Amino acid sequence: MTGDNKKWLDQNTFHHGEFWDILKLVKEKEKKGLKISLCIPTLNEEKTIGKEVLILRSELMERYPLIDEFAIIDSGSEDKTLEVASSYGADTYLASDILPEEGDKRGKGENLWKAIHQLKGDIICYVDADISNIHPRFVYGLVAPLIHRAEVQYVKAFYDRPLNYSSGLRSSGGGRVTEILIRPLFSLFYPELTNIIQPLSGEYAARREVLEIIPFPIGYGVETSHLLDLYLKFGLDAFAQTDLDRRVHRNQTTNALGKMSFGILQTFINRLHSQGKIDRIPDMETFYRRFQVEDGSYNQLTQEVVEEERRPMIEVAGYQNRELSS
Amino acid sequence: MLETTAKEFNLGSLLKDLPTQIDKLNEFRKLVLTDAVLLGEIPSPTFNEEDRIRLTVDRFRENGLEGPEIDEHGNASAILHGTEGRSSILVMAHADSVFDANTQHVLNVGPDTITGPGISDNAIGLATVVALPKLLEMLGIKFKDDLIFLANTKSLGRGNLDGARYFLDTMKRPIRAGVCVEGASQGRLSYSGLGTLRGEIRLEIPGNYDWNRFGSSGAVGQLTRVVNQLLEIPLPKEPKTKMILGGLSCGTTYNKTPKRGILRFEITSEEDQVIEDLRQKVDDLCEQCSLENGTKVYLEVVATRPNCGIPFTHPLVKATRSIMSELGVTPEVNPSTGDLNVLIEAGHPGVTLGLTTAENIGEENESLHLEPLPAGIAQLITLLQAIDMGLCES
Repeated sequence: MTGDNKKWLDQNTFHHGEFWDILKLVKEKEKKGLKISLCIPTLNEEKTIGKEVLILRSELMERYPLIDEFAIIDSGSEDKTLEVASSYGADTYLASDILPEEGDKRGKGENLWKAIHQLKGDIICYVDADISNIHPRFVYGLVAPLIHRAEVQYVKAFYDRPLNYSSGLRSSGGGRVTEILIRPLFSLFYPELTNIIQPLSGEYAARREVLEIIPFPIGYGVETSHLLDLYLKFGLDAFAQTDLDRRVHRNQTTNALGKMSFGILQTFINRLHSQGKIDRIPDMETFYRRFQVEDGSYNQLTQEVVEEERRPMIEVAGYQNRELSS
Repeated sequence: MLETTAKEFNLGSLLKDLPTQIDKLNEFRKLVLTDAVLLGEIPSPTFNEEDRIRLTVDRFRENGLEGPEIDEHGNASAILHGTEGRSSILVMAHADSVFDANTQHVLNVGPDTITGPGISDNAIGLATVVALPKLLEMLGIKFKDDLIFLANTKSLGRGNLDGARYFLDTMKRPIRAGVCVEGASQGRLSYSGLGTLRGEIRLEIPGNYDWNRFGSSGAVGQLTRVVNQLLEIPLPKEPKTKMILGGLSCGTTYNKTPKRGILRFEITSEEDQVIEDLRQKVDDLCEQCSLENGTKVYLEVVATRPNCGIPFTHPLVKATRSIMSELGVTPEVNPSTGDLNVLIEAGHPGVTLGLTTAENIGEENESLHLEPLPAGIAQLITLLQAIDMGLCES
């Protein structure tokens, strides 16, 4: 691991426990004159949305006024998502009603994009609607680095996904798509971005100034494009990440993950094109980068993986001789 | 006579406020529901309540109580000082749950229900006690007496009410009365503690057991005999007595004869001597089984409670019935086998109330109904006001 990577990880990686004093955060937010909006994009989330609205509104608007505005932006749910959310006091909007002159596209990214227009906050925090173990940390853990550090523009969540407890070491990373698609791609083309432990996590907070200047893919590629576009404009120092401990959510089928990967790949390859990397593919990195946690400290592990290739056997003289002798 | 009339007049004025109080509590209910979810999602099996207690203490502090404490038994308590503070009223809810830490403690919040393990027993009861100081502040209600809030540990099963017992044994303040808060069911009115014995019959087959002996069998067969003989023990109809065989664990697979087993049971009776006689019979039965079958069968008593109570005509019970009547709730009078026993044993008048209705209690899909909850909380607050006004003393 390079010194720069280590420094970034030390300075820009947080644990939500560092921000437990919500009252202190509220005072700092007010002192800086910041307004914070929370957006939950939804599509048929009646099972989990009630708890998210209840806990986040009650704790972060009524008990501690950290959030100034809280909106559900829905893609046209056919279940009781909006009814349940309203019953616990959420403001609900249909994405199709926001900026109707821009048309109506279906996808989570569409809702996130329209939230920028609908909401007034200087900081917008996005939280997925399918979290079963919702807790106020999912919001204050993400907005806190933006309140405290002016240079931070975008804060990603990462979670505890223990794979090996017994040795005291555990791999730390994302889900299946992160580990088998995004991390290898980042290792090849954007090695610095591998410092983001869970690049696909659906919870993040950002300043309005950066959200309004980047395009939003409407589908699966939105998290990936945010990282690539903001990295190009501001570099790694604009990012921070917060450990939010465990996230319980529904498990996706392999088919669903395949579809998701397909969407992400489109976004990724588009970025390679627009950043001139696909026509003039540079020498590819041969180091695969991943994480390990030891005694609470995150360390990047690099491992050289050189995919050497053998020519077709038919071209090998020894093989040709074998053919002749038989 | 004159005093009785004044008491009735005062209670009547409290009852008149109930509809307004319910409306306001309906507005504030999110405060209680949020704490019910946050507390309820922290596993809190008996003897391991620390994490739930830690949040309870934080909440006591956040809700305006100074210096909440955790005692040697892990109970959390805090005081809301009254304007006069000559006496104290205890409001308590047990913090432990029947679900172990491996159970997925995820609660689902719907528009009319909250569903998940332990929500009614007793996350909602605990959350109500925790939120009470804040609710009283929002309702603009002040008390002359000090209110003591207690989240007691080690209440269920082998806990044998040890948390509440320790708290009351070491409590120095004069307690005027106590109210135990349970999630379900609304209308519950307990003013007596039922004599109880909970025990485990443990069976072990020794290594040198003679498998050729007449009638020899593994632990399943032996325990079945024990069960049959237990069921043969005659139980009196008066005083009312009941025996529940609550659990049987034995064996791990299909094809191995188990050598150990446990039978869990509870005896409850209105007469302590009946319980003692039955305990003796179970002991004799265990000894007989041991000697006749060459096995080791013995009784382990894990919890006992004597009968105790205050009369049906006690002003505290009368006031509670009046409040329920005003709410249109029919009281369900049942003796308690829970925390109320130690409260009354310690010499304090007390009742146990339920806040709302629920389904599947004790199952992982326990489901709490939200609509009756504001009335259930109003019932509790009004009773505390009645105690504070001296309307519940004989």
